[in-house]
Amino acid sequence: MVKHVIPKTYEEALDHLSEGTFKVLAGGTDLMVKNRSWSETPARFKQDILYIHNLEELRYIEDRGDYLAIGALTDYETLLRHEAVPQVLKDCMLEIAGPGIRKVGTLAGNIGNASPAADGVLTLYLLDAKLVIEQKGSAREALIDDVIVGPGKTTLSNEEIIKEIRLPKTRFTKTRFLKVGGRKADAISKVAFAGAVTIEDGVVKDLRMALGAINVTVVRLRDVEKRHIGETISAVQDNIVSIKNAYVPHIKPIDDQRSNRVYRKRVAFNMIEDFITTMHTQD
Amino acid sequence: MAKVTFTLNDETVTVDEPLNMRFLDILRKELGLTGSKEGCGEGECGACSVFMDGWLVNSCLLPLASVEGRDIMTIEGYRETKRYKVLENAFVEEGAVQCGICTPGMVMAAENLLNRNPSPSEEEIRIALAGNLCRCTGYEMIFKAVKRASKEGEGLW
Amino acid sequence: MKTKKDISESIRKVDSEEKISGRAPYTSDISIDGMLYAKTVRSPIARGTIKNIKLPKMPEGYHTVDASDIPKRNVVKMIYEDWPVFAEKDVNFIGEPIMLVVGPDKETVMNLADAVEIDFEEKDPVFDFKNSGVQLHFDKGDVDAAFERAAKTVEYEYETGYQEQAYIEPQGFVGYPEDGGYTLVGSIQCPYYVKNAVLDTMGEEEDKVRVIQAPVGGAFGGKEEFPSVTACQLAVALKKIQKPIKFIYEREEDMETTTKRHPSKTKMEAALDVDNNIIGIRSNLALDGGAYIGLSGVVLSRGMLAVTNAYTVDNLDVSGDVYITNTVPNGAFRGFGAPQMIFAIEMFIHHIAKDVGEDPFAFRKRHMVKQGDKTSTSGTFRDPIILSDMVDKAVEISDYHNKAKAYEDKDTFKGIGMSWFLHGCGFTGSGESDIIKAQVKLKKDDKDNVHILVAAVDMGQGPKTTFRKLVADLLDVPIEQVTFNYPDTRYVPDSGPTVASRTMMVVGGLLARAAKSLKEEWIAGEEQTITKQYKQPEYIEWDQDTMRGDAYPAYSWGVNVVEVEVSKVTYEVTVKNAWNIYDLGKAIDERIVLGQADGGQAQGIAYGYLEVMNHEQGKLKQKNMTDYIIPTSVDVPKMENHIMDNPYPLGPYGAKGVGELTLVGGAPAVALAIEQAIGRKVKKIPATPESIMELIDNG
Repeated sequence: MVKHVIPKTYEEALDHLSEGTFKVLAGGTDLMVKNRSWSETPARFKQDILYIHNLEELRYIEDRGDYLAIGALTDYETLLRHEAVPQVLKDCMLEIAGPGIRKVGTLAGNIGNASPAADGVLTLYLLDAKLVIEQKGSAREALIDDVIVGPGKTTLSNEEIIKEIRLPKTRFTKTRFLKVGGRKADAISKVAFAGAVTIEDGVVKDLRMALGAINVTVVRLRDVEKRHIGETISAVQDNIVSIKNAYVPHIKPIDDQRSNRVYRKRVAFNMIEDFITTMHTQD
Repeated sequence: MAKVTFTLNDETVTVDEPLNMRFLDILRKELGLTGSKEGCGEGECGACSVFMDGWLVNSCLLPLASVEGRDIMTIEGYRETKRYKVLENAFVEEGAVQCGICTPGMVMAAENLLNRNPSPSEEEIRIALAGNLCRCTGYEMIFKAVKRASKEGEGLW
Repeated sequence: MKTKKDISESIRKVDSEEKISGRAPYTSDISIDGMLYAKTVRSPIARGTIKNIKLPKMPEGYHTVDASDIPKRNVVKMIYEDWPVFAEKDVNFIGEPIMLVVGPDKETVMNLADAVEIDFEEKDPVFDFKNSGVQLHFDKGDVDAAFERAAKTVEYEYETGYQEQAYIEPQGFVGYPEDGGYTLVGSIQCPYYVKNAVLDTMGEEEDKVRVIQAPVGGAFGGKEEFPSVTACQLAVALKKIQKPIKFIYEREEDMETTTKRHPSKTKMEAALDVDNNIIGIRSNLALDGGAYIGLSGVVLSRGMLAVTNAYTVDNLDVSGDVYITNTVPNGAFRGFGAPQMIFAIEMFIHHIAKDVGEDPFAFRKRHMVKQGDKTSTSGTFRDPIILSDMVDKAVEISDYHNKAKAYEDKDTFKGIGMSWFLHGCGFTGSGESDIIKAQVKLKKDDKDNVHILVAAVDMGQGPKTTFRKLVADLLDVPIEQVTFNYPDTRYVPDSGPTVASRTMMVVGGLLARAAKSLKEEWIAGEEQTITKQYKQPEYIEWDQDTMRGDAYPAYSWGVNVVEVEVSKVTYEVTVKNAWNIYDLGKAIDERIVLGQADGGQAQGIAYGYLEVMNHEQGKLKQKNMTDYIIPTSVDVPKMENHIMDNPYPLGPYGAKGVGELTLVGGAPAVALAIEQAIGRKVKKIPATPESIMELIDNG
């Protein structure tokens, strides 16, 4: 028999995790669909479920000086309405589904689900998000890139839970979130792009690009980005061919019911090129 | 089975059902509230929209467990309010109802918008309704209805 | 004396409040004490023979229902009778129903259904267009002679994909035994199609089957013939089990196993004279019928008849085929074959003009049909045609010419497209008089309340309001004095199915005649009943074998202008604006007609660029609302619709058909706009970002 547990407190949730093998259900917007059964019958979970949606202590957004701390259960709608949340993350949140999902969906759930097409995750890669991962008696902090390892796969152990997301404070001169779904709202990404750049006196001080739905995880090539920091705008733009070439081995999309690999690949490169060529102008 | 207690349309309700039941099914089957509809069962169409703590949510994606201690309002509760009457009248006057299966959810989404933005632009209306699919109307008359409600219900929101 | 309001002036729809408030009892909202639930066991393979079925041990109170339980005929009575109620020996598509499992607890029913083991001998499925199940042909003039004297010929092939109705309420029935027979309450367009199909399968007496329409949560053709299949299955179960049964499809089940718009391939070949006038067209329309023919032959026929759309071409040779493939059967969908053909001809006429170096607008106008011209089937366009005025108006309000010129600059990635089109109202050919034979009744009670008794279904398009409005207006009584309940075959005569844009023109027309008679014969305080039967206008002549004559008594007309922008980065299409002009005779309620216009256009445009469905080895890849994309509130363009006044003498107050007209022109209009934006010929819809990229790459 599958067990269903609602912990009363976060502490209690950690206790349960240390004792059993639970699947953690946050908002449920993903798990309830994946495990859907016939209407009027319970969702068909194959694993014990820990329902944490009511843990109010995991809902917060706090400014902690050099970073913004976001409690794991903070929903998209709250992020969208909070002044301290970076604009690029808000732009992304606005494109995730509709209002009815945005009030329930959480960033931690988006991470735990680890879909290569998860728009929230893509933006967290861009923002160098760090995750605070806890288990009973210990905690660790890890860059999001090091937590998500494949479609639906993370380095989280059975005892662990994502407690908090930390966004280092950075100011960009331009950011962009651009996704292609089957339609203009309420759609899963065929390809998605997040970009950020800081330009001072014509010199590129920071450059970041993340691409979703074109590989098993989000693609962000920090070494390629670093290579161009300190260059002038035109130097970077003149290098567009080599920049794109650097992404070639990493852009390996698939054919599925939503799109095909040729299109995904082409659009991914178009998105890179378009961001680079317009990084000094406002959209 | 587990006991879950929540507020439903201003009354305290306790149900004893599996925690992994969809809240939509609890409403429709156990509580006989069939105003929330099932269109897709995966959070795309919004026909099952209800308010949880005053915010629009898709009840087909909510496990019963998530409802513990929450304040829920369904169309059956909302239709008793003044705001509803204004929206209802606007929907009728503008011809925003065709087959009607999406309409209770659509009205809930409109309330969710007007509650926070009493005078929305058409662009804001479009964005606020993007989680509610309608296959009959092409949405045009629904936009007009929300605009009309916003005007006629001035002061209510 | 008060002036009577014009009938077009809008009133509040009579059923909106119950729908908005969530009170309207849709089929799945119905609950009956002691009700059981039915789930379908289906074929997992596209083609094969059932070798053995192993059932799980059935607990008490749980049943299976299959072909062996059918009392009379294992076939669903529709136009062409090849669709079995349950697969008996052979299965022909993935998802084909083999049996039902029925019982009181849904989880148990589901587990039992999952536990049914079926061994198949698999056969090679067919997905290509090679088994033609229906062949139709007609001609006009002498096409061979036209091609012989042609100065040049132009040839293209066009392709369209599936379209799923995507009504928000899935298919469903609730049935219960009653008076030694069965009553079925369901989400349906055609109460008598359902009743007659059930009678035929069950071999029952006429009065043993009762069909009641529940509020219908969207249909668009998808609840025309398909519900006959599930109704027959349910009736078999009711006979066997004798308890109330609820039988509601899940969304994925609905998408994977119910009828859709036929994918098509259309060959077009035109002969032109030295002045670039089209003197002849040869065309073949090929539809993918899926595993069973069902209604497909009639869909094919309507498609072929639209071959010259709103143009006059003197010499034609038109053939068509329905190909049988091992895929889900396709069927009725708003437009009924016309959207495929109108896409083809509208693109073709532009492509001819471009190939011969003429301005497409002028080229098309030169070929535009006029009153008195011969139709594609050598009938006559008798009534006044105001299409030219409509085009002028569309040009003006959309600023068409200036935009079309500005967007010739390829760097804009913008485009504007204009389609114009007609739609035949009512059943094709002699269908109304030979097959449907519609009958309506008006019953006045002793309190002088008038009851409309027809089988027409309100699925959102408004007859619950417009019929009452029409009858009240003609009787000169308040609308409250006229009732129109959801049709129940126990009480209403067979006024025909709610299809083919016939509801207002044909059924409304009969009601208008009945209302006029009742008014003449009105005796206050007495019960009176008036019955009217359809009579074909005498001048209509149609030969079904040669497909020659007047295919329709009347035509509605439309012009769609659509403006788009294509992204250079993602190739996504943004539909910015749409302007539409319609001649549907006379609007019985303007706002209701405008609502049809908005909704039809949204579906028509989306058919052209947004809605993608395809299969892989017979398995549909887009099987839910997440993957099958229909427009949301941010996808639809700003729409401006205008209705012309051009009353049709035989329609009630001059009304013709509306519902389908508003869909059929959307796809070519958006495709033409995309064609301009990218500077490439669009020959296939939907014109998705993926296909736009390909076109830009390869031309």
